[in-house]
Amino acid sequence: MKYRKTVLFSIVVFLSLLLIVPPLFAQEKEIRIGVLYPLSGAAATIGRDLQRAAELTAEIINNKTPGVDIPMAQWAGIPNLGGAKIKLIFADHRGEPDRGADLAKRLILDDKVVGLMGAYHSSVTKTVSAVAERYGIPMINDSSTSPELTKRGLKWFWRTTPHDDIFNKDLFELLKGLTEGKVKGVKAIPKDQLKNVAYACENTEWGSSVAKSIEGFAKEYGFNITKKILYNANSPDLTSEAKALVSVKPDVMLFASYLSDSLLMIRTLKGMKASTNFFWGQDAGFEMADFVKTLGTDTNGVLTRTVFIAKIAKVKKVAGQVNALYKEKYGDDLTGATARSVVGVQTWAYVLNKAGSTDPKAIQKACNEINIPANDLVMPWAGVKFDATGQNILGRGLIGQYQKTKEGMIDLEIIYPFELATANMIYPFPGWK
Amino acid sequence: MEKLKDAFDFRDFSRAEQVGFTIFSIFLLLFPWLGAGSFVKVVMIQFLLFSLFGMGWNTIGGYGGQVDLGKAQCVGIGAYTVALTMVWWKIPFWVSMPMGILLAVGYSFMIGYPLFRLKGHYFAIATIATSLVLQDIFANWKLVGAAKGIELPIHDHPDFLYMQFKSDTYYYYFIMVLFYVAIFYMNWFRRSKLGYQLRMIKDDEDAAESLGIDIRWCKIKAYSISAFVAVGGGFMAVYNLYIDPVSVMDLDLSIKIALMAMLGGAGSLWGPIIGAAFLVPLDRFLGSWLGGQKGLIGLDFMIYAMLIMVVSAYQPRGIWGIIEQFRRKGS
Repeated sequence: MKYRKTVLFSIVVFLSLLLIVPPLFAQEKEIRIGVLYPLSGAAATIGRDLQRAAELTAEIINNKTPGVDIPMAQWAGIPNLGGAKIKLIFADHRGEPDRGADLAKRLILDDKVVGLMGAYHSSVTKTVSAVAERYGIPMINDSSTSPELTKRGLKWFWRTTPHDDIFNKDLFELLKGLTEGKVKGVKAIPKDQLKNVAYACENTEWGSSVAKSIEGFAKEYGFNITKKILYNANSPDLTSEAKALVSVKPDVMLFASYLSDSLLMIRTLKGMKASTNFFWGQDAGFEMADFVKTLGTDTNGVLTRTVFIAKIAKVKKVAGQVNALYKEKYGDDLTGATARSVVGVQTWAYVLNKAGSTDPKAIQKACNEINIPANDLVMPWAGVKFDATGQNILGRGLIGQYQKTKEGMIDLEIIYPFELATANMIYPFPGWK
Repeated sequence: MEKLKDAFDFRDFSRAEQVGFTIFSIFLLLFPWLGAGSFVKVVMIQFLLFSLFGMGWNTIGGYGGQVDLGKAQCVGIGAYTVALTMVWWKIPFWVSMPMGILLAVGYSFMIGYPLFRLKGHYFAIATIATSLVLQDIFANWKLVGAAKGIELPIHDHPDFLYMQFKSDTYYYYFIMVLFYVAIFYMNWFRRSKLGYQLRMIKDDEDAAESLGIDIRWCKIKAYSISAFVAVGGGFMAVYNLYIDPVSVMDLDLSIKIALMAMLGGAGSLWGPIIGAAFLVPLDRFLGSWLGGQKGLIGLDFMIYAMLIMVVSAYQPRGIWGIIEQFRRKGS
């Protein structure tokens, strides 16, 4: 009896050790980065796409990935940190600034992350970056484009993506180019065909920043704003906003919308058989994979500003390689938003490698000195290098146009910058007949 | 002095309630030292904040029976007063916070006058309307930052005057003090003349009127008192260092406040606290645990909604109603 008890006890001890010991030995060094995205709520679709892109990039960094000609694809971890793996810890802020701040505290104090990334919504990025600043933890923002974010004198905040002032300048350069005959496939348009501009932007931090920026550039470039609309992106009905837009018969319609409201707006305008010469969306909803999936050929002729278009692969090999991996895994092409996630995680990896330490001060120094060459990026940018405000000064935007192919599919073609144009622009906007 | 004594007098509560409240108070006092993680602390702060909001709602919604779905207006006024005066004139929190409360009370008094010409559902709809109008005004008013909101400057060093601390423990104790002020005030209020009048109005307006109670005046007074939730708005501004019309004035916030009080048990002292203790952790923890998990996204919403439905279907008087039901069965 005593013998049986001893055997039983030994088995229990042995099994317990099996459970405890292997993780101790097998545990690899890992570096935790907290990533805040809207994984549920109105922007959940976008948030999940961003999450996938970030995860894919972490996989590329953590494992040797043949077929991707970026040095980090051969790293299998962060070389200067003894091959430590990057571990992304995701948190869902639902687009609520106060929830974002609370989660940032959880990531910093409970999960002990070395830094933060996110948060897509500019309003959430504001509160999250304030928490990061309070605790002296670096935050690399990959996807919020409100110009104000880098004008606050923060010491622990860097942004890789260009901001809306840069994008809006591109838009007005395109409009000017149209009147000067610079756009591929379109003869010079008389300016009175593009004179009257109307915009409808969602009414949080991001949309209202875009609105303000559009007004500034319209004045500078000599366009008239005939209608200004700020609306609630969660609104279940946009009929009155659409009516107000249509009523002024604008030559140019501009939007800053997230996904669900961009779909609703276009459907409502379609129902009204709205017509205009130039129909442009400021990224976000307009360039998500689900935008085209849901609206199909109704998007023909719609322009969107972005930072990534799959066709960029024609001129940039690594963009095609990473895009192919993403498409193979998730079935969609990378978009401007998801490609920014790729660059966000990539910048984290380069910064950590340069810092050679997880000490916040070392990371801060590395961020201020980092210079990622253009060839390593999936974006058509000149690289990643931050100025004193934390803004990447080497980024640039693209303007794409959804065009119906002969097979009845929709492709996103590059229209601006003019030298990168991949197709003739469809002008005027064909509308919905 | 008599009133002050009333505020601290809990003798009419059952023994179990008194003991429960004492244990709960000791727990709240010691909580930051119990070694809980920072996220738990954050959730506790939210719980205390929403309890405070719920208690404010309870004056008019619970005791007065007037369903107010626009409480976020007062929260917003409090938050904006603190944020704007701090950004424009560097006025310390301790000055701007009372200013915010006064403004919110004044505003509630002003809109309360026309609002209480309406009754029942019409009153509820009107509160939503005024709340949406105020939010729209703030979202388009450039002087107050419009839709972009207001960002408060971050101080390098802890600053008591401007309520800027690195550690959440300070914020926790501050909101806890406000929470207790609200509890003691509500304890006095429920037995005050106005408290009894409101309950009478809730039960039968015609009977109350026949006894000489000025119904509209009572409602306006209670509605204005409930504006003390503005203090929570001021707290949100200094705690998050950023406010915009969506985060402090949204209809969602108003509904959340009313929902917590109703689910906990409208018209009882403990109701809003129980409601917040139930819904805030549920919302924050579920969102935090499940929100980032693949394949489980959205599950937190379902569980949250399901529990609300179950409680409301089982006992319309809320969780406190369920507790009382069990107690009656037991005795």
